[in-house]
Amino acid sequence: MFDFQTLLTEMAWPLTILIAWFMGEYGYRLVKLPRISTYAIVGFALASSQAGVLPQAQSTAMLLLVNIAFGLILFECGYRINLRWLRTNPWLAASSLTEAFLTFAAVYFLASWFEQSTPTALLLAALSMATSPATIVRVINEQRSSGQVTERILHLSAMNSVLAVFVFKVIVGLVVFRTSGNLWEATYSSLIVLFASVVLGTTVGILVPALLRITQRTSHDGTLAFTIAIICLVTLAHSLKLSPVLAALTFGLIARHRRVALNTSQRGFGALGDLLSILLFVFIAATLEWRQVVSGIGFGLMLIAVRQIAKMVGISLFAYISGTSWRKGVLIGMATAPMSAFVILVLEQTRSLGINLVDQLAPLAAAAITLEILGPILIQRALIWAREVPESKES
Amino acid sequence: MPLEAFKTSQALSLGVELELQLVSRSDFDLTAASPDMFELLRRKPFPGVVTPEITESMIEIATDVHTDYSTLRAQLLEIRDTLIHAGDRLNIGICGGGTHPFQQWSERRIFKKPRFAEVSALYGYLTKQFTIFGQHIHVGCSSADEALFLLHALNRYVPHFIALSASSPFVQGSDTLFNSARLNSVFAFPLSGRAPFLLNWEDFAQQYFAKMELTGVVKSMKDFYWDIRPKPEYGTIELRVCDTPLTVESAAALACYLQALCKYLLERNEPAPAEDDYLVYNYNRFQACRFGLDGTTVHPKSYEQVPLREDILNTIRLIQPHADTLGCSSALEHIYRIAHEGSDASYLRHEFTQRGNVEGMVDSALQRFRHQYIGQN
Repeated sequence: MFDFQTLLTEMAWPLTILIAWFMGEYGYRLVKLPRISTYAIVGFALASSQAGVLPQAQSTAMLLLVNIAFGLILFECGYRINLRWLRTNPWLAASSLTEAFLTFAAVYFLASWFEQSTPTALLLAALSMATSPATIVRVINEQRSSGQVTERILHLSAMNSVLAVFVFKVIVGLVVFRTSGNLWEATYSSLIVLFASVVLGTTVGILVPALLRITQRTSHDGTLAFTIAIICLVTLAHSLKLSPVLAALTFGLIARHRRVALNTSQRGFGALGDLLSILLFVFIAATLEWRQVVSGIGFGLMLIAVRQIAKMVGISLFAYISGTSWRKGVLIGMATAPMSAFVILVLEQTRSLGINLVDQLAPLAAAAITLEILGPILIQRALIWAREVPESKES
Repeated sequence: MPLEAFKTSQALSLGVELELQLVSRSDFDLTAASPDMFELLRRKPFPGVVTPEITESMIEIATDVHTDYSTLRAQLLEIRDTLIHAGDRLNIGICGGGTHPFQQWSERRIFKKPRFAEVSALYGYLTKQFTIFGQHIHVGCSSADEALFLLHALNRYVPHFIALSASSPFVQGSDTLFNSARLNSVFAFPLSGRAPFLLNWEDFAQQYFAKMELTGVVKSMKDFYWDIRPKPEYGTIELRVCDTPLTVESAAALACYLQALCKYLLERNEPAPAEDDYLVYNYNRFQACRFGLDGTTVHPKSYEQVPLREDILNTIRLIQPHADTLGCSSALEHIYRIAHEGSDASYLRHEFTQRGNVEGMVDSALQRFRHQYIGQN
């Protein structure tokens, strides 16, 4: 006959996605709560350590799917980056480096003050530099915003994420090197990983437009081709233990600079992108444990505050000279809050390297869940206050 | 409020207004970037005037008053360079063209200004569909009656300007088969078309404008979207049929073609304009919009059918001496080249076939606008 327990286990994920979708739409209609904030709440509530609906151990298949979801969004982010802008407006590049450096320094000192070990403090500082591009892209698409705040948070988040991956991998390399004494392993897990990821992304970025040209699909829908390419790319990066983040971002960048344009209707990869983003944001929140969040809440909130101030100062400093208003500078700083999706996926991958930061770092869990819910709201408010959202989308 | 008195201005002086597109450099769609542009542009003196337009993805520029082709062209280039420099700092692309080839009107955002809110409430979706980009040329007139004479004497030449400036072959992603699809959008407005045939300013003010005002339909000359309209506060007539060309050089040349033509007409070289001239007006206008330089035009007096290109080349020969006197013969050379080599509309279609998509076409328009731009610091 049929086993109710098995049925419930098998239906856990589909049901969760259904609930998250419904609550997301409902919350958006009711109080314009960004949908991904709701997904995070649902994911966290239904996680194994909370309500226990979702299974405890995440399968590798699930992690891969989530990475593909993240890859799609990162590709889109990379696709919207104009590298030439950094050359014509070097102050933008300067503000990016400044905010990243300030954040790194501020979080490192905070962590040391909370008596964390040096390697932990360094890794924490490196991860805090990143603004999650996934959250940024999803909220921008949801709000259909356009203007300097929109453009700049996209560029800044792409830059500080690359920087964060880089610094993180280097520090992991140093930490692993010091503990295991194996020089080869250390080098491999840092620079070679980065380099190989970029090469992989570039190769796909050149191959796919070429394939599209052969099939003469340039005037039509490129979405399907890009989606398939991202699935291949992320899976490959995943099994080679490279950085899917960097590979997908590079792919987007190269595809854009080779000028094969997507049609506007496919922004965000349509319904597929929506579906995978539910999965992504639910999954991220579900990796976090209630007990950890509570125990780390003090440090976690301090970390959020310090990081936010560092970013706002670093970005605002260069606002006027880089061609926008002080007001927009502050709003850009405010919108760089989110970090969760990025941080947790990077950490999930390093689990395999034998470093378990999520479990070690209760404060990081606290900061991640707070920002996963709060981050999208901050971006949404920043965009509305900057008047970059069409009136029909404002509350 | 009665129609204001017609301020006279120096005969044949020129002023050019251009509506330009603000384009995203990532997806080549229009982008609501004008507030950011103004934030940056107001930090330095602007060479001319720059004003917001009704949707936030347009920007309008105007030159000072010029009498001379070389200074007009120089100022337009200076304006262009200033705009490109600002756009580069903000990652915003700027280009000409009468329409954006694939923008969706429902995506447009109305600039926050009371008049725009009123207009938007009245015309609904027409306002957003009015995201089209034109060139307006002002010609100074020494008297009000002279202005009305010129306005009507120009009737048979309106198709020249449509065909020469045509740069709007695509709308909402597809080829319209028109060379200037933009004018079809203007036609949707109730007060568009031609001005009533009145040659005396008193009659125009009393018999026409006062009556129209009484009906409550109009409040000022601004409410008329005529192809050519008098502008009493400047003492000019304003030709409004041109699409914004892809380059400011073409914009300057078109203005001076009009200047030389007006000089020729003011010397009464042609039979006086008559109401019956307008019998063929809409047909000729359609031919120019649809077929561009390959269209035909029916002469309003002789009813002779002439290919539009040939008519333009004949006109160039006819007004050449006047252009020489005004010092704008190189403008006529530019017009001659357009007539031979094809308009911006043909260029855009060519780019579409070359590049395979509408985004590539916008990219070419962006490149064309910044042709020979040398970065400034």
